[in-house]
Amino acid sequence: MAQAPVIHVIDDEEDFRRSVMFMLNGFGFDAEGYESAQDFLDRMPDLGEHGGCILLDIRMPRMSGLELQRRLKDRGHPFPVIFMTGHGDVEQAVQAMKGGALDFLQKPFREQALLDVVTFAVDVSLQNHQRRQQQEDAQSLLDKLTPREREVARGLAMGLSNKEVGKELAISDNTVHVHRQRITEKIGSGHAADLARLFLRADSQGLDAPA
Amino acid sequence: MPLRRPSRVAALALCFILHGAWATEVASTSIRVGLLSVLEGQETTSQWASWMSGLQDRLARHHVEFLPLDLQQMQLAVQKGELDFLVTNPGHYVDLETRFGAVRMATQTAVDSPNAAHAVGSAVVRLPQRAYKELNDLQGAKVAAVSPDAFGGYQVVAALWKHEGIDAEQGDVTMVFTGFPMWKVVQEVLSGNVDAGILRACLLERWIHEGKLKPGQLEIVGRHTEGDISCEHSTPVYPGWAFASLPHVNPDLSREVVLALLSLPQENDGTRWSVPADYQKVHEVLKTLEVGPYSYLRQTRWDALLFKYWPFVGALLTLILLGAFYTWRVEVLVKRRTQELRRSLEKQKHLAQQIETDREALDHLSRLSILGEMSATLGHELNHPLATISNYSESLQRRLRAGAVAPHLMQQALEGISGQVDRAVRVLGGIRELARKRMGQRKPCVPHEVIKEAVMLFRGMQTHPPAVNVTVDMRAEGLIWCVDALQIQQVLLNLLKNAQDIHRACGREDAEIDVVLTRSPDRLVLKVLDQGDPLSEEQKGRLFEPFFTTKSSGLGLGLPICRTIIEAHGGALMATDRDGRGMVFEASIPIHDAAQESC
Repeated sequence: MAQAPVIHVIDDEEDFRRSVMFMLNGFGFDAEGYESAQDFLDRMPDLGEHGGCILLDIRMPRMSGLELQRRLKDRGHPFPVIFMTGHGDVEQAVQAMKGGALDFLQKPFREQALLDVVTFAVDVSLQNHQRRQQQEDAQSLLDKLTPREREVARGLAMGLSNKEVGKELAISDNTVHVHRQRITEKIGSGHAADLARLFLRADSQGLDAPA
Repeated sequence: MPLRRPSRVAALALCFILHGAWATEVASTSIRVGLLSVLEGQETTSQWASWMSGLQDRLARHHVEFLPLDLQQMQLAVQKGELDFLVTNPGHYVDLETRFGAVRMATQTAVDSPNAAHAVGSAVVRLPQRAYKELNDLQGAKVAAVSPDAFGGYQVVAALWKHEGIDAEQGDVTMVFTGFPMWKVVQEVLSGNVDAGILRACLLERWIHEGKLKPGQLEIVGRHTEGDISCEHSTPVYPGWAFASLPHVNPDLSREVVLALLSLPQENDGTRWSVPADYQKVHEVLKTLEVGPYSYLRQTRWDALLFKYWPFVGALLTLILLGAFYTWRVEVLVKRRTQELRRSLEKQKHLAQQIETDREALDHLSRLSILGEMSATLGHELNHPLATISNYSESLQRRLRAGAVAPHLMQQALEGISGQVDRAVRVLGGIRELARKRMGQRKPCVPHEVIKEAVMLFRGMQTHPPAVNVTVDMRAEGLIWCVDALQIQQVLLNLLKNAQDIHRACGREDAEIDVVLTRSPDRLVLKVLDQGDPLSEEQKGRLFEPFFTTKSSGLGLGLPICRTIIEAHGGALMATDRDGRGMVFEASIPIHDAAQESC
């Protein structure tokens, strides 16, 4: 049986947290409960390949939902965050959205709304996961190249000919050719388009700045 | 009305004489004349036979009958109306005049006196060897007299004595009453049984004249020289015997009799019937002795006392009346004042009731205002159970639509739902209790429980309540107070809410609030300590002022009402600076005597 996405529910109200988890289970998600922001930070779950998201109560004693969101962002945590707000927490909800929240649910919320937003979040998380995976793959391929080979590959990816690359790097055409063969061996393709995709996957700004 | 003035009577009599010719003829009738017999019956008649026969001659048309009677007999006869006229001594006449309206028509002159007004007196006699000179000397002596009813024979002397403060009746003089005839008195004196004897004046001279006594055999005590009487006497002299008519007698007949009497010639002994004299002096004698018409004076009856002591009685009555008036006046004033007082008391009571009503209304308002201020958190609070219930039920529906639901899941969801329903009910109950307007009901209760409940309510109404530390001082343990628990909870809720608001205002939402119960000598002291920023002096001064508030959402009624509630419990609510940071709100409430069950 395929592993289900995991939804992390952070709410200090135990009864409510349990009821949300009960609903999530009903949708077929795995649900994990946390009684406080600190509890979540302490346990700090990984975002698995099956996707998942965080359902975060915006008002909590000690560390609030917004504070946790900020800390997760600082750590580059990939989980999509959905806030749960009470009545009249509009200002905080706006702040949460500005802080990069995926969406927010005003309590009490309909089951369908939860399902929709969680499903969407899981998709996002899966896409994120995929993107991250690709980036990691591209990076590991690029990491196989020597610095000189990477410079050559970058030139080629930017659409330069062997000659132009040699001129740029002040090396002979032949040397460029040899590097290109090495690159093809290591990465599996020496085509400019493939190289360009690889660079961009590893770093979306990888081709912008001069090397 | 009896005529008293002799001149007038004389004038009238004269008229009768002058105009006798025109006098209306009275039909022939029987005339009964009563005679007081001072001697033996036969003797009386013989003594007066001369004028009696003269009168019968002059009234020959009528049948005139003379009846010798003693005092009792005469009185009885007058009472029965058996007599038309009567002849009696001056004292007795005055008595009958007063009691039966007898009217004197003529007065008999004395043997030795031409003046009818000076006819009767007394002569007190003694044996020459006895040393008494004046009447007063006879005090303590033994004196004989005929009868206490005899006017000349006793009463005149007794009255004289009484004037001098000698009361014969009280035994100042030992009286021996011999009874009539008066000769018996002389016999007593002569025998030496008594020290002296009282005789009617002129009797002594008569008996000497008749040879019954020798001159000088008896001597006079206290010789009196006044009066137109030639015989020796010891007392003032009084009018002679009276011839009186009774009221039922026809006036014309009376006139006929008077004319006849006055026209009689002088007797051999020099006596005759003259115009009626003034008997006022006789009245005085009887009054002094309190006999005859004045016998009522000796009765200790109120009217007698009143008559005797009328100036004192009058003064006393006046005093009593004044006293009564004063009492009445005071009573009236007191009544008036009492009414005024009652009115003002009622007014005060009315005001107090109004104040109480206002206070209750304010109380209610304050509760509502606290509710209003807490409504955001309360909304949140109710939101949770509702959201939770909704979550479970929607999820269950979905699962049921998808197929069978495992019993343990069903169980889990239903437990969750009922738990949340309970919670919502609790929250609503708390609010309703807080909002309900009701009369205060004080009961002895344990402070800690009241505090605990209030803190639970305070925290229960919020999702993220601040920590509240409750400390009960050892000295306050086991003590109870007598309070309306809900009101005290309201105060505490208010103070807790204030503390929380202060913490929020200075960005320390999670700061702890301390609640301390301790005791002063006779009071339980409930303190709520916050950690807020210090208040300005102006703010501190106006804390308990109604409608003063530092909060945008506040009405400014919380603290004034808290203070009213605490003061209504006989306590006080104060705010002071806390050592370090924040404020202390301190409510002190009297300790209740645990021995008493009720408040």
